[in-house]
Amino acid sequence: MPRKCSNTDKRGPWIRRVLPSELERIREAEGEVLGRLGELGYGEDDRFAVRLALEEALVNAMKHGNRMDASRRVRVAYRASAEQVEIHVADEGEGFDPAQVPDPTADENLSKPSGRGIMLMRCYMDEVTYVCEGREVHMVKYRRA
Amino acid sequence: MPEAENLVCIADRQGVKLVRLRAAALLTEDEVEALGQALMALAEMPGQRVVLSFLGVTHITSVVLNTLVLVQRRLEESGGDLRLADIDPHVFEMFAITRLDRKFRIFERDEDAVASFLAGPEG
Repeated sequence: MPRKCSNTDKRGPWIRRVLPSELERIREAEGEVLGRLGELGYGEDDRFAVRLALEEALVNAMKHGNRMDASRRVRVAYRASAEQVEIHVADEGEGFDPAQVPDPTADENLSKPSGRGIMLMRCYMDEVTYVCEGREVHMVKYRRA
Repeated sequence: MPEAENLVCIADRQGVKLVRLRAAALLTEDEVEALGQALMALAEMPGQRVVLSFLGVTHITSVVLNTLVLVQRRLEESGGDLRLADIDPHVFEMFAITRLDRKFRIFERDEDAVASFLAGPEG
């Protein structure tokens, strides 16, 4: 998670939230981030992309990371400016190796019900990086001109 | 969990089951599970032909895509098929990115999807 929190950074201040592993709590985090993007004038395509990626990241953190253990938390940090939005999502699980997730678009995997969330995050965000052995994902979306 | 009948509306079109959704977004686990259960119940009928209309749905997640894959697998096992229609451009893009637009037959309007079933196996 980011350690600096500067209000003078042109990318905006980091805003942090801690959520229990309860799927119904995802709405409030999404609403807050999307509300901020709306204030900054982000278009529909950008907001669709961020909503989808954030939803996928939070579901992954709660279900696959924390295994829906209510005692484990999901930490969300985001900062948004007129040019870009950065989002970090961290869970308290055991981590995973994203390189080991099979390509869901391979012919042999098209009928398998898994692996699409990470792929969609990578497609809709401009940068997606896993750190802390897969327990934390960092995403960046640059605003469309 | 929401009752399936609160989430979906199922109509019969000459033997083809037309499933329409009552929600603009399919995001919560409960909503997706209810949708999956409703579709799986239809798949219990051998040879069932199902059209799922996404009319008015603007947001889904990968969980929905995975659920549809499971439903399609079940339908194919029993000689049936699932066809999709009325997909919002943003949502369609998700099918295209994941190449599921090649797995599912997708139609612009639900009546086109129903007609494709009524036209025969190659419809």
